[in-house]
Amino acid sequence: MNSDSFVKTEDLTRIYSSGTIQVVALKDVSLSLDQGQFFGVTGASGSGKSTLMNLLAGLDRPSSGSIRVQGKLISELDKDELALYRRHQVGMIFQSFNLVSSYSALENVAFPLLFAGVAKKERTKRAAQILEKVGLYPRKDHRPFELSGGEQQRVAIARALINQPKILLADEPTGNLDSKTSSQIVQTLSELNKNQGLTVIMISHEETLLDQFADDVIHLRDGKVIQAERIR
Amino acid sequence: MRISDYIEQSFSNLWKKKLRTVLTIFGVMIGIGALVSMFSFGQGIQDNITNTFNELQLFNYVSVYPRSENNQTIPSSEQLNAPGQAGPHTQILDDAFIRDVTEIEGVESAFPEVRFPAMIRFNEEEKFSLVQVLPADICQSGLMKLRAGRPYSPADSNALIISDSLLRRMKVKEPETVIGQQIEISTLTVDLSLSNIPNIVSFLMGKGLPFSRQSYLFTIVGVTEKMGFAGPMPVRSDVFITPAESENMKKLSLTSIWDLFQSSQQAKGYSMVNIKLSSTKYIEPVKAKMEDRGFRTFALIDHLEEIKTGFIFMNMFLFAIGMIAITVAALGIINTMVMSILERYKEIGIMKAVGASDGDVKKIFFFESGAIGFLGGVLGLTLGWLVSMFINQIINYFMAKQGVPYMDYFSFRWWLVSGAIVFSVLISLAAGVYPTMRAARIDPVVALRHD
Repeated sequence: MNSDSFVKTEDLTRIYSSGTIQVVALKDVSLSLDQGQFFGVTGASGSGKSTLMNLLAGLDRPSSGSIRVQGKLISELDKDELALYRRHQVGMIFQSFNLVSSYSALENVAFPLLFAGVAKKERTKRAAQILEKVGLYPRKDHRPFELSGGEQQRVAIARALINQPKILLADEPTGNLDSKTSSQIVQTLSELNKNQGLTVIMISHEETLLDQFADDVIHLRDGKVIQAERIR
Repeated sequence: MRISDYIEQSFSNLWKKKLRTVLTIFGVMIGIGALVSMFSFGQGIQDNITNTFNELQLFNYVSVYPRSENNQTIPSSEQLNAPGQAGPHTQILDDAFIRDVTEIEGVESAFPEVRFPAMIRFNEEEKFSLVQVLPADICQSGLMKLRAGRPYSPADSNALIISDSLLRRMKVKEPETVIGQQIEISTLTVDLSLSNIPNIVSFLMGKGLPFSRQSYLFTIVGVTEKMGFAGPMPVRSDVFITPAESENMKKLSLTSIWDLFQSSQQAKGYSMVNIKLSSTKYIEPVKAKMEDRGFRTFALIDHLEEIKTGFIFMNMFLFAIGMIAITVAALGIINTMVMSILERYKEIGIMKAVGASDGDVKKIFFFESGAIGFLGGVLGLTLGWLVSMFINQIINYFMAKQGVPYMDYFSFRWWLVSGAIVFSVLISLAAGVYPTMRAARIDPVVALRHD
């Protein structure tokens, strides 16, 4: 394994304990990603995909093992440092889009800039630009429930990109979409990966999609990597 | 995050739940309104009393009374059975005493309290009242607040000052109209000597009174305001005349039934002498001199501390009532904030996912409870002010009927105004502590899965 990998995990383990019962969600996962890779993660539900994603996003902490991003030990950051990491290094998209329902598309896209301390005028300007890029500028004043699933996911992508992250984490981004929209969304991710050098880590149980776009795919089962394949 | 963004966020979030926000703010508004009107009432009463005392220089007075033999202020039954049994050491408050006192350093003047009952007749109306004899110089010293006319001077003959409350009882509404008009005072005299026995016998048999009437005509030169409070004041009657006029009148100098029986036995003397000092610094030396001579004294200034303590207790009581309302309002805020956080559970997860720190989340909700407090404080202040104005009008309406001049019973000081808003914000922030901590502790992983 390359020691100066862009993203690197070593023996990553996450154990949830509730009372006396312990659930091993992730066990000794060691990965290494290069910058600009499109990395796929697949597996059945409960295999630990989302746990891995949350750990990489800095939303959760490992029980043991380590995560390094650009050599920086993410697993050792304190809460505030993790917030900064999420703010500037990673963008996330989700199966259920996770847009704020009371905000317009534009406000949703601009939301991360609020915490980055960007002035309101600048927030609006940047959000409008990025909505333009994903082709949703005409719908900027619509609220999530007025948008289709595909449109909502594109708003979510725009939001994930607004702070110019280096890594895009996509947790089942096509889970709530029909197959045509699904491939459009993954196509968008792939273009971002190719044209802008964005490192994409995508979870999906649709292996065909991953086989179509990803450079590498790993298979998880019961929290362990059971197969790692290089596709291209 | 920028401060302006916190403020904008908090107001826009509150605005999204208009009804709930308005109801919560109403709770705070009522609490702060209650507190503000209570406080301003306490302050208003305090201001009125201390201002009046200062204005009338009441703190410059010492009252001197004869000491009763067993040195008790409350008469025992023994005393009541044997009234007027003057002890060997009892000094007499007479004119010689007054001349004497006037020589003491710091004494501006001294005058006895002389009051006698009389029938006052004006415009076909007849009322019973106590007439007080008050020297012209005291009358001119500003001790009395005049509504109309002027104080009498030593040069005036047959001059009289009447209170507007008595005038009102005599159905005179405008005090200005009575200045220069004639008024009749009828005194009662009684003769308890042996020569008057038939009269007394008929009185005891219920067939008549052992009194005879003497009428005197006076000219009204001034109308005085009745003070809004009572107490041991140098001025406490409705009708005032000069000592010169008083001497020419035949009258009973009694204010209680005991005087009727003791007058023939007791050594002549005034029941009380009021001493006016040029400054409060002479109070203690003059009191000491008087007590050395065997008199009892009373100075209002000695009771200032008691009065202040009284005010503190009154304010504390009013504060306690206001605090109950505030506590209920604070519970309302906690409820609203907890509800808001539960509703926005997922939104908090999103905030954290896009880079909000725990501190950012905390501040967002803190600003929201602060905004509730601020709006509630401003509205509560307005409510308190309006209610106070309203109550003030009502009190004055009823007090005016009794001849009490218009007063502001509520006082709004700058510290009350700013303090109310600051207090409201602080209480709201305190109420926001628990919900805010709860919001900051939300696990984004769980919240993002939440539907």
